[in-house]
Amino acid sequence: MAEQATILLVEDNAINCEMLARRLTRAGFRVVTAADGEQALRLMASEAPALVLMDMNLPVLDGWSACRAARQDPRLKGIPIIALTAHAMETDRQSALAAGCDDYATKPIDFPGLLAKIQRLLPA
Amino acid sequence: MSLRRRLTLSLCTILVLFSINVGTHFWGSYARQESMLAYRSSVTAAQLSTDAAQLLENQRQQILVLETLRETTGDMLDGDELADAEADIASIDSKLTELGALTSEVTRPQYEKLQQASRYLLDSWLAFYRNFNDPDFDSDIDDPLPFVETLEHLRQLEQRQAFIAAQRSTIIDRTIALTDRITVIGFVATIFLTALLGFYLLRYTKRSLKRLKRGTERIGMGDLDYRIADFDDRGELGDLAKAFNDMSDKMRRAIEDVRRAKDDADDANAAKSRFLANVSHELRTPLNAIIGYSEMLQDELEDPGEVDREQFRDDLEKIVRSGRQLLALINDILDLSKIETGKMTLHLETFAAGDILQQVCDAMTPMLRERNNQLYRPDWSQLPPLYADATRFRQIFLNLLSNACKFTRDGEVHLTAACYQKDGADWLRCTVRDTGIGMDAAQQARIFDAFVQAENAISANYGGTGLGLAICREYCTLMGGHISVRSTPGAGSEFTVELPVKVRESAPASA
Repeated sequence: MAEQATILLVEDNAINCEMLARRLTRAGFRVVTAADGEQALRLMASEAPALVLMDMNLPVLDGWSACRAARQDPRLKGIPIIALTAHAMETDRQSALAAGCDDYATKPIDFPGLLAKIQRLLPA
Repeated sequence: MSLRRRLTLSLCTILVLFSINVGTHFWGSYARQESMLAYRSSVTAAQLSTDAAQLLENQRQQILVLETLRETTGDMLDGDELADAEADIASIDSKLTELGALTSEVTRPQYEKLQQASRYLLDSWLAFYRNFNDPDFDSDIDDPLPFVETLEHLRQLEQRQAFIAAQRSTIIDRTIALTDRITVIGFVATIFLTALLGFYLLRYTKRSLKRLKRGTERIGMGDLDYRIADFDDRGELGDLAKAFNDMSDKMRRAIEDVRRAKDDADDANAAKSRFLANVSHELRTPLNAIIGYSEMLQDELEDPGEVDREQFRDDLEKIVRSGRQLLALINDILDLSKIETGKMTLHLETFAAGDILQQVCDAMTPMLRERNNQLYRPDWSQLPPLYADATRFRQIFLNLLSNACKFTRDGEVHLTAACYQKDGADWLRCTVRDTGIGMDAAQQARIFDAFVQAENAISANYGGTGLGLAICREYCTLMGGHISVRSTPGAGSEFTVELPVKVRESAPASA
């Protein structure tokens, strides 16, 4: 496991945000949280996280728009993004991947599965 | 012209022509018969004339011989010979009488002259025979004049009769030729007219039938807008064309209805799919918290060392809260489903509307704070007691106020309540107005439909199953009231709920 890799968690639901942040911290990551898409883009630039966990249903700027914006920004396009969404349809997964996400996890989150996805995407 | 009238007319025409033909035929036959009769009578007359002339000649010869004998030998005439002579003369007389019977008005003068002459001749001959034995009888019998005159008159009568017969025969021949011509012309005309009428009838009817056939084919191919236009046939075929057009209209309407029904069903189906996706999304959000916290607490229990009891209770509290949210959501879905299947019943009771509204406002406090909204509410003390379903009443305003908070940030939410009279009954009007994002007209038109949210993007941003307003409307309807909305995009929305102060037991069922 990478030493204190920083993960940016973007989630507007306070309870879910806190829960996931605590579990990721327990798993050995440094966690930064954002509540909307715009804040997420700002933090991606300032914190340079090793990976982003992005909820798609966000106020102000939704997850899909934030992903597309990050992929067009030369400074941010290298940061892997995992979409987190409560939308469980196949079309939702494809729309997330089409927006530029590297992977996709459905709520309720299978935490060991999510950790595996994070490990796979973290820079060696 | 109708098909039946056309056929009748054709038949009548043919019958009239046929009658003319038959009539002409009888006329011709009659003329032929007349001609035959005239011919026969002229032959008879000629025969009689010849016979009479022959007899006259013989008698004359006999009388001349007898005269010579009488003068030279002085022979007597016995009784038998006299009787024979009288019979011969009577025979001549009867021949002439027969000839008279054949005489027409035209030949009457000639006959009368003959009769006069013959009467004199025959009388003189009879006198000769009767006085033959009288030596004093001086006969002028050898005077040829009466005999010649009689023969001359006979000949004239014969000529006259022959001339008349020839004249009549010419007229009759002309008539026969005419009737023959008429018959032939009538026959040809009948055939020609029959053929013409048949052809015309066939062509005219065929043209109409062809248009009907084309119309049927077009309709059959799905061109429901096709109409048989300017159909000049007014009979049965015209009626058929009209019935055909009517049928096309009805069919098009029916198919439009079916299409609309199908579109509606497709829309409802799509809305239901969207709703299911939204429900799935909404159920997963609290479930994520419940499962996530539970797993995390399990992990923490596995950790060595003391458990932070305060933190542990907080976390359990979050699990419970998420569980309750999940339950509320499930109840919402079940409620709507009950209303939709007509199984929702009201529990009517008398309660203070102000108390319930106060409780709702209190429950809104955390949400108002979260979005930094200010709530303005009226003085409830003037509100009369309400006879209605308190639970549904509370739910309506919980939904409306939480919506107002959800779609407004750093703004205001106004709640007002007032009584008024309508149709002799007391009514309560409550409004919930916000300064939030608002809606355009199209969104307002659909906002109360079940399974519909104003826009998918809005549900993405603001959450919700799109059930709250549908449930509000159903509850208002159940209690005999109604709900309406006025909104300006970007400036906010105003929801108005109007309910009778005393809800009737037999309130109308859900729409």
